[in-house]
Amino acid sequence: MTSQEKITVYNLADLKNTSDDAIPNYLNSLKFRQTHHLTDVRLALGYSALAIAGACFLWDYKFGFENTKLYTAIAVALYTIINSALTLWIWKVEKGVVYQGVAPSGETISISTSTIKNVPEYHVSVTIQPKDKTAKPETISFKRSFADWFDEAGHFVAAPFQSMLASGVPVVAKLDPKRVVGPTPVSQGYSAEMLDVLSAKDPSYSEVAASGTDVAVKKGGKRRTKA
Amino acid sequence: MLSSLGNPRQAAAQILNFGLVLSTAFMMWKGLSIVTDSPSPIVVVLSGSMEPAFQRGDLLFLWNRNWLQDTDVGEVVVYNVKDKEIPIVHRVVRKFGDGPEAKLLTKGDNNGADDTDLYAKGQDYLVRKDIIGSVVGFIPFVGYVTIMLSEHPWLKTVMLGIMGLVVVLQRE
Repeated sequence: MTSQEKITVYNLADLKNTSDDAIPNYLNSLKFRQTHHLTDVRLALGYSALAIAGACFLWDYKFGFENTKLYTAIAVALYTIINSALTLWIWKVEKGVVYQGVAPSGETISISTSTIKNVPEYHVSVTIQPKDKTAKPETISFKRSFADWFDEAGHFVAAPFQSMLASGVPVVAKLDPKRVVGPTPVSQGYSAEMLDVLSAKDPSYSEVAASGTDVAVKKGGKRRTKA
Repeated sequence: MLSSLGNPRQAAAQILNFGLVLSTAFMMWKGLSIVTDSPSPIVVVLSGSMEPAFQRGDLLFLWNRNWLQDTDVGEVVVYNVKDKEIPIVHRVVRKFGDGPEAKLLTKGDNNGADDTDLYAKGQDYLVRKDIIGSVVGFIPFVGYVTIMLSEHPWLKTVMLGIMGLVVVLQRE
């Protein structure tokens, strides 16, 4: 249930990247067909810029600066244009989109995620375009604490992460109803079945739960002494 | 982190990010070369021959266009000598003639004699195209690192060792 790799739970970039990487794994396993259009354009732009710089390096190295000045000037201009296009693409078009795909039922889904500096919360925004292309796309946004699906040691726990997506996004819920945990936020209540899954397959996670109750008991104790 | 290399697109994106850092640095250097019209727009002073104007390790910014006026007596220029690898930073002290064919003589401020001994065999003067730029600005001392590295090659080994160690220690 947990991944082998461990991350530093205080590293927000690690939390986000690991979570981002888990989205395609999960959705593709539900028979979503991932589309790589955004990534492919980014790679094409980036690698053509790289090719221009490489060619410029080679002719400069072989023929010297004076003989190739005109070509170098053109290469610098082209490189600047392509690099700006790449920056605009990442900034204005990709806008943090980490997954695009088509559900088996035909809806197009686009998921973008973000974090706010120093706040360990995962902001998820899902845009769903119904099968009928003329219909208005629907956007669902929600945020969850990373602590919901990372244990204390920094292991990624798949079940609550998948519940987070399934509960928040109807298209996913339809394909994976057993992960839906109802309207209450994930952190406040799991189904009995879910708790079984967690404690049975993930000892480290149940440890966390245990330490959580410890804290609660201590708090209670304090209050009693005060009274 | 290495597991992401299993996904070809993600691997390509990571390599791309690394490549773009290098290529952007290179293209900025080339852009500066084009703007200043100099094959090497930033140089480090290697000798004390221009003291007290420039010390060893000073970083010099060059400009190689004659938009407003021709290169003239008094300017500090960087020039290449045929068959010598390292360019020299000295001051123009004599000029005969005008335009691109003007004959220029240079001398280090701190040297007793002019540069005729430094020129190639049989060469008595410089012409404009030997020069790769006039000094238009400098930052003292920051180039000293490159002097240290080239004069004490063992420092390179030490630096590589430290960098390697950091990479190993930072691995999680």
